Amino acid sequence: MVNYTVGQLAYLKIFFHAAKHPHLQVNGVLLGKKVSETVEIIDAVPLLHHWTSLSPMMEIGLDLARRHAESLELQLVGYYQACERLDDTALAPVGERVASKVKEGFTHAVALVIDGDKIGSPDNAALIPYLAQSPSSSWRPYTEAGTAVPFSSGSSFSLSPPDLPARAVSLVRDQQLQRKFGDFDDHLEDVTIDWLRNKAAMSFDIQE
Amino acid sequence: MLASLPSALQTLANYRIHNTRASKEVVDKGKVLLDAQAASSLGDDAWAFLEQLTLAAIDVANYEVADECLRQLAAQFPGSPRVDVLSGIRMEATQPPEIALKFYDELLETDSSNAAIYKRRISVLIRIGKIEQAVTELSDYLDTFYTDVEGWVELAELYSSCNQYTSATRALSHALLLAPQNPFYVLQFAETAYTADDIPLAIKMFMLALDIIDRHASEESIPTGVSIRAWYGVKLCCRALSERSCSSASDTLLPKNLPLLDELSTERVLTAYSAAGKDNATGRELVLSWMGPSDRSGGRLHFVR
Repeated sequence: MVNYTVGQLAYLKIFFHAAKHPHLQVNGVLLGKKVSETVEIIDAVPLLHHWTSLSPMMEIGLDLARRHAESLELQLVGYYQACERLDDTALAPVGERVASKVKEGFTHAVALVIDGDKIGSPDNAALIPYLAQSPSSSWRPYTEAGTAVPFSSGSSFSLSPPDLPARAVSLVRDQQLQRKFGDFDDHLEDVTIDWLRNKAAMSFDIQE
Repeated sequence: MLASLPSALQTLANYRIHNTRASKEVVDKGKVLLDAQAASSLGDDAWAFLEQLTLAAIDVANYEVADECLRQLAAQFPGSPRVDVLSGIRMEATQPPEIALKFYDELLETDSSNAAIYKRRISVLIRIGKIEQAVTELSDYLDTFYTDVEGWVELAELYSSCNQYTSATRALSHALLLAPQNPFYVLQFAETAYTADDIPLAIKMFMLALDIIDRHASEESIPTGVSIRAWYGVKLCCRALSERSCSSASDTLLPKNLPLLDELSTERVLTAYSAAGKDNATGRELVLSWMGPSDRSGGRLHFVR
């Protein structure tokens, strides 16, 4: 089992995307690289919030995101989604297909589903990791050996830095940065929206 | 603060006209008006404002404001079906779904012509994950209220969420009959057809969407808004058609001169990027490389098994 770390850019983008469309399903892909036995999830590219069950724009967005990742010397390492209903944390058929597609290019691909009940609490990652044995097998929520839950101490999943949920909550609550955030759906209506980098929403003082 | 009231009212009226779901803004502005008891100065607009504020307050879980609005509305319109709907939504926010369903059932027993109550019932079913039952009830509802365009679009979305894309296109075709000039429904139809792997039908509908949009635009203009999405769709279809043999479940004929259409869609998409200015140079470059001759590491994404 490899370890996974979710970095600041990636976490905040997932968080902002979900916060911008609280009543819709949203999805996107994760960018990163594998360093020895750890998959570092460094960045994220937000894709859709309109018709998340339809494939054409997902297909284009996925392709462009992959090229963007390569230009940063990263690769697509996973998929993320937030569901429309708070209590729904299923990867849904479409999420599985996209995650499997990513897995074809990266064996250790992971899918992260936002836990709508926990998001917003400053000490909880509110992410549910899903893994699959192979691109063709089904995706299951990852359960740790023993009693640890993902993203708790001793888990194979961690946030870097660990206080990311608190930071995200304060950036959304106090600075409302999610309003400056745009995804591929937004970009398709206005190509000046910087969905690949989202510099405007990431313009706070980043402390590494 | 009072000086800002007219502008707050104007903003809220704009949200109502454009159906904007900016719940937090509505509550922020609306609460000031409510506290200042400014609603009475609005005349008949007051009730529309209170309805708007109720919904927004429920959205952001400010039940105190919601209940105050509901109280005023119920006092003005006792027994109004429209207020019943609002009370139901308020109930959905904090009560178990069964209670809300029961409330709606009772209302429908006394008045079976209240379309909004049917729709609330269906939305509760969707929320608790009873998609199959929601599809059945929505289909029954549309038998009676055939002209409800949004109902057909919702039915299509439910079908899509269950991977039943062919049924989704069938539902959308009713929406297109009822609202033939709406490019968004055409675009949704096109994307659904593409997902159902009927590429000839998809490209035809992408082009129909562009046709509808272009009726309102001057020639040679820069593609904006929804037309960029549609041109991307045409490009994607052209590429699929050049790479593999595509059958059409709907027996749709292919447009003539695909290579020319391919070239045109490339040019149109890139024009949108060029017009966006230099800041966008890297984004454009990426798209340019994607547009180029088929070197796709990605390939097709199958949503249908």
